[in-house]
Amino acid sequence: MILLESHSTIILNTLTEKFTNPSTIDIQFVDYDGVRFHLHTPDRKKTEILLSMSIRCWGELVRYGALDVIGREYGPYVAPTVEPGYDVSLAFDTNNVPQGEDQVAFIKSVALLKRNALAAPFERAFAEQKALESTPAPTDGSPRAQGQLMQIHYRDEEAIYVRASHDRVTVVFSTIFKEETDRIFGKVFLQEFVDARKLASLQTAPQVLYSNRDPPLEIRHLPGLKNTEDVGYVTFVLFPRHFSALTAEETISRIQLFRDYLHYHIKCSKAYMHSRLRHRVTEFLKILNRAKAENLGEKERKTVTGRTFSAR
Amino acid sequence: MSNALRPYLAAVRSTLTAAMTLENFASQVVERHNKPEVEARASREVLLTPLVISRNENERVLIEPSVNSIRLSISIKQADEIEKILCHKFTRFMTMRAESFIILRRKPVPGYDISFLITNFHSESMLKHKLVDFIIQFMEEVDKEISEMKLSLNSRARIVAESYLIQSYEACLHDLPTNPPTHTMSKRPEICWLDGGVHIVENRWSRVFLSTPVKSG
Amino acid sequence: MSTAFRKIDIDALDEDVLLETELYEPDPRDPHTVLDDAKQKTAQVRSSLSRNDIAGALNVILFEPPYGPNVDDAKSLTLNALLLILNSTKATDISGILRNLDIDQQDTLMKYLYKGMGSQGLADVNGSVLLSWHEKLTEIAGIGCIVRVMTDRRTV
Repeated sequence: MILLESHSTIILNTLTEKFTNPSTIDIQFVDYDGVRFHLHTPDRKKTEILLSMSIRCWGELVRYGALDVIGREYGPYVAPTVEPGYDVSLAFDTNNVPQGEDQVAFIKSVALLKRNALAAPFERAFAEQKALESTPAPTDGSPRAQGQLMQIHYRDEEAIYVRASHDRVTVVFSTIFKEETDRIFGKVFLQEFVDARKLASLQTAPQVLYSNRDPPLEIRHLPGLKNTEDVGYVTFVLFPRHFSALTAEETISRIQLFRDYLHYHIKCSKAYMHSRLRHRVTEFLKILNRAKAENLGEKERKTVTGRTFSAR
Repeated sequence: MSNALRPYLAAVRSTLTAAMTLENFASQVVERHNKPEVEARASREVLLTPLVISRNENERVLIEPSVNSIRLSISIKQADEIEKILCHKFTRFMTMRAESFIILRRKPVPGYDISFLITNFHSESMLKHKLVDFIIQFMEEVDKEISEMKLSLNSRARIVAESYLIQSYEACLHDLPTNPPTHTMSKRPEICWLDGGVHIVENRWSRVFLSTPVKSG
Repeated sequence: MSTAFRKIDIDALDEDVLLETELYEPDPRDPHTVLDDAKQKTAQVRSSLSRNDIAGALNVILFEPPYGPNVDDAKSLTLNALLLILNSTKATDISGILRNLDIDQQDTLMKYLYKGMGSQGLADVNGSVLLSWHEKLTEIAGIGCIVRVMTDRRTV
């Protein structure tokens, strides 16, 4: 698997099963970036399923319009009261959900709950860009207006920053490399992201910039940014062609998972190196064992009764 | 073996062979002790002149012979940050398994990356020329392994970056009639999944395979 | 009460203790003569090399090399002169030259080869030149030559 999926497979599978064979369930599970889910049937009724999600940056997402996106996607299924300890709840009555092909699409969209919640700031930024583009440039030479800088602190020490301007949307990720190996591997990977655009086939991909330690200019004024060796900043510059009606959905899904994608592959590389080393070391051991002289002593001798006989 | 490396390994081989004249030797300082003299350094007269074999400043081997033990330390070439970390990983991996690599010293001599300690007990229970073979093969493979790992890391990084950007923005290509996506397929590596390892079929720009199937244990 | 006395190396105070100087015959010449010798030899090597006489230059430099303590200047002069010879020899000539050296000269040359490799980065050392000389010399003089270098305490 090279690319990560943005939907939750657990939701997808469980709902597919429960919508056809309702039974009581109570499962808790997690997704990337510390997102927690709780899928259960409260009140012991098999037909009423409640899905709750807790996400670290919910407060920020609501400010950037997450409730609108959730409302648009799930409309009548949004539960009026949120389960305590979670941020958003969806309630389904299995007797009253779409059937047939619609059901498959519906379940798929429920599985994208986390993606949709995180999509809000991006959608807002894309809309802001369109608005800014249509307002004419100021004639007095002052700089053109910029959108609001949206900060999404989706992990303890890592955040996404999104800002729209009249011709582009800039997305900045901050990421922490917990150990030296991660940092160096991360550098190699990010360098390739920067270089990949040189390929003719990737000319149209968004521009990627990478800086280690120093935050990019867009967010430099923010308080509380770390600039230690283990922090990396990745900037994506999205142009309108990346979020046209056709491509916006896909772009949002991909870009949300960028951090997880990067770290996933860093970990994979480390695991691969590890298995290589393991293999190499056993090879070395074999070579070394070849140096051991062939069984210098005599064979084990046994007495008639089966006891081991050895000369002292 | 590359031609540039051959004289270096040949020099290590002949020096090590010359040093492999070990005999049992009890400590002259403490009664009933028998220690590798090269480590104990208790009596001067049993330590021989240490010899250095070097290709350049970064690749060198220090051989310290003594009456009953040889200490051989290797400094492995590390051209950049990646090679440094890979080399560190490799040597740490080995030293953590020093128990099974009987001749491996658990800690390298300062200034070197990995050290071996061969005592008369090793040279008695093992074939000397095979021990030398082991050291030489180790030196040969270590360089190869590190550069292969580096290449595989780079090619993996490239594939990861390209597949993210390509798949992510593939649709954009259709928006731009000036840049038709005719050549994308020929340049992309073919990636398929077999028994858990990524296999990347050779293509124009990457001669390296992400992995050859590695069976552990 | 002080415990520092526990750390005293009493073996060093033993009157039978073996000193570094007792391990080999000291150089009978005094350090000044050795240094003058080395300078003179360096000059001779340069003139031999200008006449393209590699064998002659080697004969000069490998005769009575400086060893022991207090002659570091003479040692480094000699090493540099020797490296100069090695670097200016054609690879195809090496074997022929080596065959004409006697066993002591071969041993001394081997000592300098190891010393040269040990001083990478300090002197003007070309690793591959030294390695190819080492390879040829081992071929001709054998492993015994290396053993003699290891066991000889008169380090150059």
